[in-house]
Amino acid sequence: MNCTRSLGILTGRVFWLNKIMKGENRMGKNNGKLGVEELVSKYPDISRFIILKLDVQKRGIELTENAQEAVQDSKYRFRPRSAAYSGDDGSKKANPGPLLLRDGTTVLSGAGLKYEDPYRVHHVDGKFFLFDKGKKIEEVDFTPRPDYYGKKTSRGVPMESIASARPQRLDISPYRYCHFWDTGDQCKYCAFFTDMEEQRQLADKNFPKVIDPEDIYETVREALKEPGRISQINLTAGADYSGDPPFENEVNRYIKVLQAIGRNFKSRRFPSQLIAPAYTKRQIKRIYDETGLSSYCPDIEVWDEKLFKWICPGKEKWLGRDHWIKSALDAVEIFGKGNVYTNFVAGAETAKPYGFKTIDEALKSNFEACEFFSKHGVVFLSLVWRPWKSSKFAGQKQPPLEYYVRLVKGLHEIRKAHGLTSDNDDYKHCGNHGDSDLERID
Amino acid sequence: MSKLPKELVDLLKDRESVKVLATLNQDGSPHTVIKGSLTTLDGEAIALSEGLDTYQSNKNLVRSIWFDKSVSINITKGPVSYQIKGKPYKCLITGEIFKQFLLKAREKKGPDADIAAVWIITPEEVRNESPAIRRKEEEEKRPYFNRHLDRESLINRELSSAR
Amino acid sequence: MSKLSKEVVDLIKDCASIKIVTTTDENGNPHAAFKGCLTVLEDGNLAFAETLEGSQNNINLVRSLWFDKNVQLTVRGKDGKTFQIKGKPYKYSYTGPLYKKFYLAARKKRGQDSEISGVWVIVPEEVRDETYEARKKIEDELHPFFRHFDRESVLVK
Repeated sequence: MNCTRSLGILTGRVFWLNKIMKGENRMGKNNGKLGVEELVSKYPDISRFIILKLDVQKRGIELTENAQEAVQDSKYRFRPRSAAYSGDDGSKKANPGPLLLRDGTTVLSGAGLKYEDPYRVHHVDGKFFLFDKGKKIEEVDFTPRPDYYGKKTSRGVPMESIASARPQRLDISPYRYCHFWDTGDQCKYCAFFTDMEEQRQLADKNFPKVIDPEDIYETVREALKEPGRISQINLTAGADYSGDPPFENEVNRYIKVLQAIGRNFKSRRFPSQLIAPAYTKRQIKRIYDETGLSSYCPDIEVWDEKLFKWICPGKEKWLGRDHWIKSALDAVEIFGKGNVYTNFVAGAETAKPYGFKTIDEALKSNFEACEFFSKHGVVFLSLVWRPWKSSKFAGQKQPPLEYYVRLVKGLHEIRKAHGLTSDNDDYKHCGNHGDSDLERID
Repeated sequence: MSKLPKELVDLLKDRESVKVLATLNQDGSPHTVIKGSLTTLDGEAIALSEGLDTYQSNKNLVRSIWFDKSVSINITKGPVSYQIKGKPYKCLITGEIFKQFLLKAREKKGPDADIAAVWIITPEEVRNESPAIRRKEEEEKRPYFNRHLDRESLINRELSSAR
Repeated sequence: MSKLSKEVVDLIKDCASIKIVTTTDENGNPHAAFKGCLTVLEDGNLAFAETLEGSQNNINLVRSLWFDKNVQLTVRGKDGKTFQIKGKPYKYSYTGPLYKKFYLAARKKRGQDSEISGVWVIVPEEVRDETYEARKKIEDELHPFFRHFDRESVLVK
């Protein structure tokens, strides 16, 4: 399919786009500077919890000393501090897992990292509370430490270095390196795999780039012993374009890993997601036929054609944007409508100097993308851009909170109109997408 | 108005079923009462008695018939459960049906029992809410949604070596 | 938060009691669901499990928490003693100790393939005795002439 031609057809499909852009084009003098409470009043049909989540994702959190002490408890203790994103204070204290709001909303808040204007988490009378500029905002909690943490595989590898836990999901990175970085072609917002100190520590200096599928099998097996804890397995890794056609070695690696994980299940398919590069149709078919994977997610990252080339040079170099789009559409024929996802880094399309100058332009582009993908059965989801210290976009300014509120509202409305739900990327499993959180009351 | 499913009619006429009427208060908050009197007269409409005019549920039924609000009825016995959404159609304060309900109330609660009204509810939506049926529906529609991987039907408890 | 009396707590904890949770949907229509697992936590809040993430009841509870709506819990003992509790959803747990407790209880009761989607914690705000005899006594005192003449207490035979 020629994706460029498909995009041309988009000009005729403007019903939702117009509705969303027109309906929300009512920003006042304080354009872009409204806080959580003002936006709750301005958008009464959007949950306060989701607006708060977006702001916490945007600004990050910082634990006070007593909260830091409280999360050392075996109930919360997750992992040593990581310097992967923005540096830390050098202490080896454990961090907590993802933040949980009262309504169950997950926030991947990145505790232990440094932020300019973070929310602060206090520990008062046995409970955690979110504070903003000295004002108590909300009671919160942290994801409990899973039972398999602290255990080792039969080869002596610490299981928490194999898989990390979200509230109900296991995250596994079978290949801990991104080759886009070798040539300086990494995505400009990206800070992944720039520092593997955390995993090195956990793996006791024997830190392999490739994880043995048997270690993964054993870790999943152990994790599933905890009742009611895990309901999805997610795989993602750095890009490895080696092989012919490109990414063939990576595809073979994922197949081996998924087959190893699949031995834990009676059923042919198990709730799972692979976030990976855009493979050819033949490669996708192989993954589907040879493993129990239930959903595939080649992330588009940025929709606008010119900005994609600028922001994701590695992806443009290896196969290019049209292929990235075609791959997602091809995958729907294999995995079925609603089982193919593509994420974008919301806000990165406004980065200087080439990004969109206004948030209206940025929103228009993203809603176009959502309309296009939804029409083809692909779930297009946003995640909040944070200009990490180790990324090329370090020091850039994020769009205002209202951009994110308008964005999640619009994306949700478009997907809903197309009858799409994000079962593999909902609030329990991923927690990165304010727009899929809104599906809870559909 | 269409006929109610036979399983539901049987449940409505079964004295051992638990029957619940949910209405709306003035502020929009819900109000629930257990209604032993709730039944169907003709396999289509629902009928129930209110003991007192001043009961909150009776006031709410009046508000519903005046301002076109829905009520909800739930009937459950063992693993079988139905939810009926409907609208109050008529309030009887005299007549044959009224007398039948009054006599039933006296039979059950003694000769000093009283009823204030009998309400006829028109069902608009009937849904089988039996947990097993709802779960099957949801799992068929959304097979990868909210299924813990340690469930018996999914997990392979046998140790499996690499192929 | 309204403190629940011992009588109400005992009634809720009694397995033979009928327990109902009533919520409202997006159009404001009421929706009632039986909740055999409804219980009282140590802090006086109420808790129950939801089996399905996509059930009308669960969706309504999320909406109630997001947009500050009340829900109602009704408990009726085998002797007809009935209480209505108006409350607000405070928290939804799908991981952690409270969740695990309900998950294991559901498995014990319904087998190893059973599932719960989450546990709701409700803060009680108002409790009302809705037992027929109690309500009738109050109403008879308030409205002494709201009665049929053929009632045993009125008619001279």
